This record gives sequence, C-alpha cells and structure tokens, in this order.
Amino acid sequence: MRFKFILSMTFICSLYSCDSSFLEVPSKTSLTASIYFKTKDDFQQAINGAYGPLLGLYGGTSGAWAMGEMRSDNTTYKYNSNDRGTIAPEFIKDFLDDATNPVSSNKYNQNYIMIARVNQILDLIDGVEFDATIKSNIKGQALFLRALAYFDLVQYFGSVPLHITTAKTLEQTALPLSTIDVIYNQIIDDATAAAELLPDKATQDPGRATSGAANTLLGNVYIIQKKWAEAEFTLKKVTGYSLLPNYADVFEPAQKNNAESIFEVQYKQGTEGFASSFFYTFLVQPISANEVSAVTGITEVARTTEGYNIPTPDLINVYEGNDSRKDASIGYIIAGGVSYPYIKKYSHTHMLSGNTDDNWPVYRYSEVLLFLAEALNEQSKSTEALTFLNQVRDRAFGAGVSLISETDKVALRDLILKERRVELAFENKRWLDLVRAEIAESVMTAYGNNVKANPQDYYFPAGISVSSSSYTNIRLNFPIPASQVALSPYF
Amino acid sequence: MRRNFTSQSKTLLLLTIVLITFIDYGRSYAQSKKVSGHITSADDNQPLPGVNVLVKGTTIGTTTDSNGAYSLDVPGSDDVLVFSFIGYSPQEIAANTNTIIDVVLVTDIASLQEVIVVGYGSQQEKEVTGAIQQINGSEMKDLPVAQFTQKLQGRMAGVRINQGTGRPGQGLNVQIRGAASLTTGSSPLYVVDGFPIVGDIANINPDEIETITVLKDAASTSLYGSRAAFGVVLITTKKAKSGTTNVSVDAYTGFQTVPQKGRPDMMNGSEWAQFKKESLEDRGQTVPAEFQNPQQYGKGYNWYDAMLRTGRINNYSISMNTSKEKFKASVVAGVFDQKGVMLNSDYKRFSLRVNTSFDLNKNIRAGFNVAPTYSYGNSPSSDGQFFGSGGLLLNAMLTPPVVPYQNSDGSYPVAVTTPGITTFPTPNWVRSIRDITSKKNENRLLSNGYVEWEPIQKLVFKSSINIDMGQTLNHFFQPSTAGRAFASAPSALGANLSETNFQYWSWLSENTLTWTKQFNQHNFEILGGYTVQKYRSDYSNISGSNFSDDRVQTINAALVKNNPTMDIQEWSLLSYLARLNYNYKDKYFLAASIRTDGSSRFGKDNKWGSFPAVSAGWIISEESFAKGTSWLSFLKARASYGITGNNNIGNYTQYNSVSGSNAVFNNTTVSGIAVTNLGNTKLGWENTKQLDVGLDLNIFHDRISFTYDYYQKLTDNLLYTLAVPIESGFSTFTGNVGEVKFWGHEFSISTKNLEGNLKWRTNFNISFSDNKVMALSTLSDSLFVSQGVVNTLTRVGGRIGQFYGMVQEGVYVNQADFDASPKAVDSQVGTIKFRDVDGNGKITFGNSGADRTVIGNPFPKFIFGFTNNFSYKGFDLSIVVAGSYGNKIAAITEQGTSNLDGVFNVLKGVKDRWRSPENPGSGLYGKTTASTGRERDEFHTRFIKDGSYLSVKNITLGYNVPVKAAKFVNSVRLYASVQQALVFTKYPYGNPEVGIDSNGNQPGSTLQGLDFSAYPVPRTFTFGINISVQ
Repeated sequence: MRFKFILSMTFICSLYSCDSSFLEVPSKTSLTASIYFKTKDDFQQAINGAYGPLLGLYGGTSGAWAMGEMRSDNTTYKYNSNDRGTIAPEFIKDFLDDATNPVSSNKYNQNYIMIARVNQILDLIDGVEFDATIKSNIKGQALFLRALAYFDLVQYFGSVPLHITTAKTLEQTALPLSTIDVIYNQIIDDATAAAELLPDKATQDPGRATSGAANTLLGNVYIIQKKWAEAEFTLKKVTGYSLLPNYADVFEPAQKNNAESIFEVQYKQGTEGFASSFFYTFLVQPISANEVSAVTGITEVARTTEGYNIPTPDLINVYEGNDSRKDASIGYIIAGGVSYPYIKKYSHTHMLSGNTDDNWPVYRYSEVLLFLAEALNEQSKSTEALTFLNQVRDRAFGAGVSLISETDKVALRDLILKERRVELAFENKRWLDLVRAEIAESVMTAYGNNVKANPQDYYFPAGISVSSSSYTNIRLNFPIPASQVALSPYF
Repeated sequence: MRRNFTSQSKTLLLLTIVLITFIDYGRSYAQSKKVSGHITSADDNQPLPGVNVLVKGTTIGTTTDSNGAYSLDVPGSDDVLVFSFIGYSPQEIAANTNTIIDVVLVTDIASLQEVIVVGYGSQQEKEVTGAIQQINGSEMKDLPVAQFTQKLQGRMAGVRINQGTGRPGQGLNVQIRGAASLTTGSSPLYVVDGFPIVGDIANINPDEIETITVLKDAASTSLYGSRAAFGVVLITTKKAKSGTTNVSVDAYTGFQTVPQKGRPDMMNGSEWAQFKKESLEDRGQTVPAEFQNPQQYGKGYNWYDAMLRTGRINNYSISMNTSKEKFKASVVAGVFDQKGVMLNSDYKRFSLRVNTSFDLNKNIRAGFNVAPTYSYGNSPSSDGQFFGSGGLLLNAMLTPPVVPYQNSDGSYPVAVTTPGITTFPTPNWVRSIRDITSKKNENRLLSNGYVEWEPIQKLVFKSSINIDMGQTLNHFFQPSTAGRAFASAPSALGANLSETNFQYWSWLSENTLTWTKQFNQHNFEILGGYTVQKYRSDYSNISGSNFSDDRVQTINAALVKNNPTMDIQEWSLLSYLARLNYNYKDKYFLAASIRTDGSSRFGKDNKWGSFPAVSAGWIISEESFAKGTSWLSFLKARASYGITGNNNIGNYTQYNSVSGSNAVFNNTTVSGIAVTNLGNTKLGWENTKQLDVGLDLNIFHDRISFTYDYYQKLTDNLLYTLAVPIESGFSTFTGNVGEVKFWGHEFSISTKNLEGNLKWRTNFNISFSDNKVMALSTLSDSLFVSQGVVNTLTRVGGRIGQFYGMVQEGVYVNQADFDASPKAVDSQVGTIKFRDVDGNGKITFGNSGADRTVIGNPFPKFIFGFTNNFSYKGFDLSIVVAGSYGNKIAAITEQGTSNLDGVFNVLKGVKDRWRSPENPGSGLYGKTTASTGRERDEFHTRFIKDGSYLSVKNITLGYNVPVKAAKFVNSVRLYASVQQALVFTKYPYGNPEVGIDSNGNQPGSTLQGLDFSAYPVPRTFTFGINISVQ
C-alpha cells in the first residue's frame, strides 16, 4: 500500500512534465525583443516602424501645424462658441498655452518615441552581420530620423534630455537636461553621418530619407546657428532636385515624392490607418455636410468642433498681385452661409470623409534655394543669392516676370523672409522664421493688438474676443510638458 | 526566490513517506449494539430528514430518513453520538445503555459548531484561528437579485460590495478589507467547490449556492498563495443530503422602477428656453423667435424619463435531491428573466447544476459536478461619458428639453435637430436606445470530477480535475437610424458593426493528502498538495461600417471593413501546498501553512514565490478560571500572520514586446515593427504581509455574540505600472516598487433579542479601514492617474487614488473682487474663481507646481450593515440595511450638465449663474460669455459630492402556509420583498454606490468613486412562492 502511494504521487508529477518550460509562456500574439533583432529583415522592419511617429507628429488636431504655423501671424482658428472643449490649439495661438497643453505634449512625446525606436536599431545593428549596403542605408535612415527629432525638440523646447541609447532599466528612463549646444552637436554628428551613409534620391526607395534630405537638415541647422559658410557648403551638396513647373502640382497626392520633394511625411488614404486629414482639421466649423461636400464632392457629415489653421488676412495681404501661389495655397469655403478662407494646399480629391491622401512636405527644393539665398546674402554674396531667390520667383510669377534685384543685405534679408512666408506658407516654417529673425515678439505683439482691435476680422463672432491676457507674453520656447516634469527627478 | 523544481518534488515525496510511516492501521472494536431514534426540529416539531448521526471519533455513522428516523450500530456503551445538521446546533449524547435516543435539534444561525468551509477543507467554527465569515444560502434565499454578491450586501464585516451600475447582468465591485492595488484590479479570488475559477462570477445562479465563505486574513487565504492578496471567497454548491429525496420549487415575479428621488434635476422646457434667451442677451446677440417667449414650452420633454420604463423580473428554480445507498445527486435548474428599467435592455439566464457522488467501495468515493450556464441579454451602452462609445443616458439628459422625442402619431423621429434650437446635429436618443443592438451571449461550463481514497483510516487522498470554460459573443450593431454624439441620424455613414468572440479554457489538477491523528489530547491534521493550472483565452473581433442597408447586419454588407484583430492570452501555474492544524485539548489551536507558486507571469529571474502563514487561537472560556463565569458562554482570542500575493500583472508584462507598426512609402504599405514596452525580467508578485488579531465572545447563553478583528496589511513590491518619462520612448514600466499600508477594525455583533413565539434577531457589523502610501518608485513620489476630466493623486504619505483638482472659491463677483484675487490667464469678471493653493498670486493648472490639491477621498471611513429578522408563528420579516460613511463621489456628469455654452440642457441650479456684478447668482456657476472651458474641464470641488449613504437593501415578509400532513407537500412559503427599498443619502444622483469609468466599465483602485452616468439601480418589488415536495 505504501508503495502504491509513492507510485501514484510520482505518476502525478510526471503527468505534467515537471520541467521549467511549463512556466515559460511567451505571447502568441506579439513577438518579444529578446528573440527579435536577429536578422536583416528584423532591422528592415524596425526602421519602417521608426517612421511611424511622424504621422501623428504632423497630422491631427495636435499636429506640428499648431506650433509651427498657427502660433505665427499666418493662420488662426475659427472661434466656435458651441464647442469650448477641443480648444488646446487655441491656447497655442493666443499665447495662453501652459505646460499642460496636449499639443506641445504631442510634439514632445512623438519625437521621443521615434528616437527610442531609432536607438533600439542603432544599439543592436552592428552586432548582426548582413549586407553592408543595406546596413548603411538602415543606419543612415535611423540617424536622419534621430537628427530630425532632436532638431524639432531643440527648436521648440530648447534644452531637453538627450537619449542616444535604449533605456533598459527604470533608472535609465530619465536623464538630466542637455544644453542646447550639446544637442546641436549631436544633431550635426547624426545628420553628417546620415548624409554619408544614405543613398541619394535616385537610388533610394521613394519616400525614405536620402543623403539629400540629411544635407538639407544639416544645412538648416547651420542656418539656425548662423554658420553661413557651412550652410552654403552643405546645401550646395543637395543635388538631383528641381522645381516643378507648376507650384500647385508640388502638393498633388498624384505626384508624391516628386522631383522637388526632399522629405515628406508619407500618408495614404484608406482604412489601413495611414490616411491624413489635414483638409478636415483646417476646415472652418461648424459647417454643414452639404457645405463640405461643395468642396470635396463626396458624401460628408456635418463638422461641429473647431476649425484651425485658417489663413489670416495678414497673410492673404502679403501675396503680390499676380503670384500664382496665392490661388494654389488659399481657397474659400462657405460655412454656415458665410465665406471663409481655407488652406487649399492640402485639399485634393479623396474617397472618404475625413480620410485624405495628402502627404506633408517637410523639406522641398525651393526651401533649399531660399536657404542658399539667405546663406549667401549673409556672407554678402547678394548677387549670387539673387540667382537662387529668383529661381523660386520665376516659378511663381513666370520666368523673368517679377525678378528681385535688391542687393542691400538688410533689405534683401527681409525680402527673402517674405518670400519664405508665401512660398512655404502652411508648411510650419513661419513661427521658427520669426524666432530666427528675432522678430517674433514685435510681430506677434502687433498682431495681437490687431486681433483685439478687430476681432471680427479674425473670424470671432460678434461680442466675443480673445482673453485680455492673450499676446501679452510672447514666449519663444514651449515649456516641457508638466506631466514629464512631474516624472523626472532631474527637472 | 528561484526554486529548483526537482527539489520540490523530492520534498513532496519525502513528505508522503513520512506520512505513511505514521499511519496507524485502525483499531479493534468492542461488541456493538443497535441504537435508533427520531430527530425533530425544535422550531416546528417536524421530523428532520438528512441529519448526520456519527459515533464520535469514528467514521461510523448514518443519516436520518424522510421520517427523521435513524438506526445505527454503536460499538460500545462509552461511545458518544453526535447529531448534526446544517443550520442547527449539533448535540452530543452518550450512548450509555440506551437503545432509543430521540433528539430535538435547535436551530442556530451563528452556531459555533457550524462547519466552516476553509481553503482545502473545512473546520468547526470554534477551531478557526483566522478571520473568516460564512453565510449560508438559506439565510438569504428570498432576495430577488440576479447575483449572489448582491445578497451579501450589508452582511459581511469588512467586505464592501458596491453596485456600480444597474445594468442587467453586470457584476458588482467587491472589496475585502479596503483591498486596493495601484494598477491591477482588487477583486477577491473566487473559489467554487475548491476550484479557483477564472471566468465571470456574475453568471452563476445564486440558487445553486449552499455556503459563501469570505476568507479575510492571511492565515486563511495563504493557501491560495500568489492570488490571495485581495481575500478569497469560497463558494460551495448544493450537495445532496443523505436519506432524502425531495423536490423544491422556488418562483418569484416582480417589477422594477427607478425611484423619483435621485433622477437628475434638469431644467424643463421653459426654464431652458429662458436660460438660452438670457445667455444670448448677455452676449449681445439677437434672441431668435424660438426663445423670445420661453413660457410657451411649459414643462417640455423629460428626456431622462423617456429612456426608462417599468422593468419585469422573474425567477424560477427547481431543486431535486436524491440519495440512494451509494449514490447521491443534487440538481438545481434555474431560469432568470429580467426586462430592464431602461428601454431595450434585458438579461436572461438558464442554468443547471448536477452534483453527484458515488461510494465506489467503503474507502473510495468519487463525484462529478457539472454546471452549464447560458445567458444572453441586450444592453445598449447606456453608461459612460456622452462623447464616449456609450453614454446614451447622459446624452438624453443633455438634449434640449424643448424638442420632442416622439411624433404626434406615436412614431420616433431619427433626429431631433431643430434649426434655431439645437446647435449640433442632434440624434433622437430615445430612438437610438431602441434601435441599437448590443447583445451578449455567454456559454459557460463549470465542472469537476474527483476521487477520494481513504486507504487507511484518517488518511485521505483526493485528486480532482476541474474545468472552467466559457464563450462570450458580443454583437453590436448601430443602424443608420441611431445617431451618436454630434452626428445625427440618418446618415449613410452611420451604421456600424462590431462582432467579438471571446473564449477561454482553464483546467486545474489538484492532488491533496490529508491525515488526521489524535492521541492523548493532541489533535493533528496535516495536509500536503500539488496543483497545476493552465489557462488560455482567444479573442477575435471584426468590425465595419458604412452599411448599404440596416437590414443586413453582417460584415459582408459593410462598405468599410476594419482590420480584424485577434489576441491569445495564456498562463500557467504550478503550486505546492502544505498545512498543519494542531490543537491541544480543543482549547489551544495552532495552524501553519505554506504555498509555493511558480507562475508563467513572473519574470525569468523571479519564477517562484512562497507564501507562509501561522495562526493561533485560545479558547479562554474553556479554562477552569473562566468556567465559573455563568454569563460567559464562549471566549476565544486569535491571532494570525502571513504573506499572500497578487499576480494580476498581465500575462506577458515581463517581456519586452514587439508590436506591428507598419509604414507606407510612396503609397506602398510595408510591414514594420516597434518595441512598444519596457520588459522586466525581475517582475514578480506583489507581497502582502498581514497581521490579524481577533476576539470572539458569546455571552448570556449565546444570546449575544460579538466578534472583533484588527488587521494591518503591508503591501510591498507593489505591482505598479508606473509612468516613466516619455523621453525614454516608453510611457510605462511595470515593476515591483513601493509600499502601502492598510489597517482597519471590524466589529460584528449578533443578538437574539427575543425568543419564544415572537423571535427577533439582529446582526450588526461595522468596519473601519484606511490606507497610507509608504513609498512609490525611485523616480517620483507621486502617481497621477487621469480619465476624462478626473485626476487622482497617489502620493507618499497620503492615501491611494485621492481626487486631485482645483478648489472653487466662487466666481469673480465684480471688478474689485477680480483685481484683489489671484487669477488665471483666461480669467475674467464673472468666471469661476479657484483657490490659489500655492500662494504665488496666480492660478495655474497642472499636476506639478500648480494650484491643484487633494479635494476628496473616494474610500469610506467606515461601512456598516444591519440585519433584523423577526418571526411570529408562521410569519417572518427581515430587513437588511447597508451603508457607507465618509466617501466622496466625483459626479462627472456635471461636466455636461453644467456646461455654460448653452448647447445642452443643464441642471436647474445653472439658472443662478453669474450674469452681472448686481446679479452674481449662487456663486457656483460663472458667466456664459467668456472662456467657459476652465469651469467645465478643470476637475474641481464642484464635481465632488458626499457619497455617504444608508440603504435599506431589502425588506421581506414571508408566511409559512400550514400544511396539513399532506402526503407529498413538506412546506409552502409565500413572501413579498422590496429590494433597494430606500436610500438615504445626500448624493444627488440616485446611486451612491456608483463606480464606473468613462466607458461604463469597472474601474481600478486609483479611479474609484466616479460617476460618468450609469444605468440607474431600480427598486424591485417581488412576490414569491416556495414549495417543498417529498
């Protein structure tokens, strides 16, 4: 009998294969990092995934347009007294935003998510053997994306923490703030390395980062740092691009990644989750379904929240009379029976309401030309500068129609800035241009006074205006989100 | 902590051998004699069938037959017979030379001789050294509720049971001893007939339940190891009683209504039109014709009431018991049918349970229990925020009360958008709730089989296989006629479909060996065991929208088909357990137990955890010095200490997971991936060390019994998905960090106030509990959680999940007030005025360096319950009261119902808002003409309400119809009952037990006390009958 007991207990134990694999149950739905990052394909997929955060960074109601464009004198919002809920971008516009604003949080968050994805690749890729050309291409893209992310962070937030390897423990998730110089040095290193590793536009898969994109980014950094000679040298390496003859064609979804495009955020309409919706975000609301359909030509629903990034009268008045870019950039739409301007650059035919095919231009060749004009003018090479500036104007007005011949450095500087304002309108350049030109405070204070004096000109309903404290504190940087300050032991 | 697996099995083997060497091969018997007799109940002098008759200290025994008669061979004249029956005080009578022993058993609800179900066994109540409370199914049989947890409300000290929503078929929130965890749920572990189930407890038919035992302290729960930290609820289902065959039929029917008190106090038609008129005037806009004459609308339309109806509730259940010589069976079949108080909501449940047992031979017994359940119901998403996925009820409340929901011909329009009156496209919510299908079908099978082998006396080997499997199908279809927030129907874009299939399967194999031994006055019980459990669930969802026709509700007809999703979850658990119960002279008790769990959820560096506990008890009243005290009938002191765990950490949290993150380049979609969370190979369970000190005191011949417990729990290695700086690319990290202390006092007192013809018994319990956070992560001393407008703070030195927001100080009454007060950037004269908590002269918002502060505690200071039972001849009356004191509720519905934009209906109180310095109103609401967002979207004190309440949960009046010695009918009982009879509370919105998140689901510990608008809890009136046939 005792024997039977021992036997039965032993039997029960053996029934459930008493080995430790019984307690190792990894997920069947998703992979785990410990078994990933072993092959070329793994890294290829990881670099694809690293582009993901760009979509949320540029699109949606917390997109880059709010801080890059609407913060400036180019665009505003259409105050909707029915909906005071989704108004975070309104605070950005009126300089009432604080550290809890979800728009600035979005920029902070998405950039760091992209950085972490890139760091994961850069940490591990050299430990895996595969084709050197493909490896260089992946590393180049990774470094470009990291440079792009830190460049965005440093310009809007100033001093931020600098992560260049993956956090593995709780303690490694937080770092102290790095100085602006340290961050710029990292950006320059990354962009320089990326420019060497990446293929040019002719050989790279369309839509991915190229050596041209890396050099444009690097040139932009030097412009910010007022290193004019380095900027000129770098930007002149951006070759293989040309302006499209017709300005409006540059933004056509049918011509994505065209000869003028240096880097654009890739969207795609449909239900896969890659669609953009700039037209709808930038739509004056409330607006009835029929009023939207009148522009889109498809079945629509009424839109009832708030419309953002509405062109201001200030910008509309800046266009010269026969500038073809005006009609290509700004259209008019009837909302609630009243006509309002809207951004036409991102208004193209699409199949489903709220689901558009438009890409977002980050860098275009015309900006390289204007950068070169600026870098040369600052080095007092104004004659050469004018050749680049007038290339851009020739396309806008017709060859030789409206050439600029100003050679005074200061006057030309203003003309280049104005040219950037209209050429690159609604491409999130204006606010940073104001900051770089050190005129943000004066321009926006004057703008604010205008709004307060004539709120109806800025699409406010009768009886409503901005808060009196609006435009009284023109800040050049955005605060690091309060939620992040609360989490970090360092700041 | 890592355990070597083979050493585990060796230990077990050794234990087995040691046990076997101790085995005593039985005893010789003296010459026996036959004893017989009748057993009757003292209550009604009726024979009691099924009473256990046992020769004390042996397994010799029998049970009484249908006439209450028994007959038994008793070995010797010095033997003692023990007569016991559930619900009655057992009696011990020495056989002496008697051959006929008739016994009258006395009922005793709180009998100390009661058998208490404990983990992996049972004990006599007096032997219990832990904090355990048991309630028998018979004590709560008349409550007309769908779920057994509702029946427990008010009856258990230290157990907080809240009905967060009245939605039919929805479970309750059960919290034992203030249980809370920072990121995981804090529900107790439910163990049905020894099986820790994994499926929903809500679909178990309460009529199947024989006993419910709540294990509260570590000594009684530690045998459930890594799953026991939030307490354990043991449920036993009805087993056949020996010697009888009977059938009992229970049926009740009733209706349900939503009490008038607690319905939201919204403006009526003319009040709202007046509000619109005034706010247009204040803005300097022209008042359109629609609002020129507010009085024309009169009362208007009450949209809240329009969503409600009178509900119906019916329940039928049949129980059958049979017992043959070597075979026992018990069958309970039930049908529960509820038509809810909100339109288009219902719940039906069909359940069956068959419990059998077979005596294969004199020392082998086997049994099979099978319990299939099928339930289905429809419940359009009534709960939650108005712009969320549900929120039908709140949306209806917000609809302007001047527009009708019904046409004059009785039909319901699809939209009530009225130019000039409604601002947004406005769906007809009454139509929406009628047209939306939100069906849930659940199949569930709970079953087990066991064999018990007693090879030698007092050594029992038990092996069981248990299976819990279920499937839930959700079918959601919102036709084009059912609008949603800000999008009125009909619209070709409207219709959408979601079809979810969830199935799970879990098996448990459990093997235990129990050995009991008495010598001299030493009594031992030793238990050793080995269990293995595995779980798998499969989830899939397909969804689509843009249907060409509402009549075809399958994905085939959807023009837009969303990507389908699938998810598989698995875990496995391997455990060893052992327990020693020892007592000396039935006076000094000592127990020690340990469980070792190995879990697939724990990180590879931390696979095994051990959970030991010890406890002791001393029956002081048995001591000679206490014997002389005539008023003292029983006094026991007990203490326990032990460690339990919480392993609710998700199945794969330990791994760094890689998720799909596809990308598109130049219109070509390519596959991509991203590492989406930080893994943690050291991840382990949460440890709770609990100390319990208790006292049981009975005085005046058990007329008054009193129980007191003090407990202190220290939870460390808190499983805590803490937010980490996003600069790392990740927003959370799940780790074992931090420490929280919980403590509390529990008092229960039961009294027999009157005996005799008129009987009156009272039970009262009250429990105080509190918690304090001792440590959090190394990165931060604060945990902020937010949902919608709500923020909560958990900070070192404070309590868990405190409401965290601004303090309203009124409104800026006039320019002087404005100039003299601290203000925010967008403040104006007439807008809401907050307190400058940090005293820097400015009002700022945000979680750090701003003016937010703790503005309420959602946990009660104490909870209490009070039960009174009266009986007089055939009549009986019971009243159950439950209550809570000191907890706060955040009424988030007011974010919508006090919206000053004039686009929704609002609370009546909004008419006293600020309009001018001369007409500043009540000081609660600001003006309509400024930035109203802060007042509405900043979490502040105006949302916080007192949640204290006293609820008369149930009143039941019953009558036992005298049955005149009818041949088959044993008893007939009629009763009438009111559930949720009265609620005394200052909380303005009906259900002070409310607790749902913004999507209408049960929230975690850091989001307690939220009211995002929930299905109302109805008052239920029922009439029932119970017939027992033999």
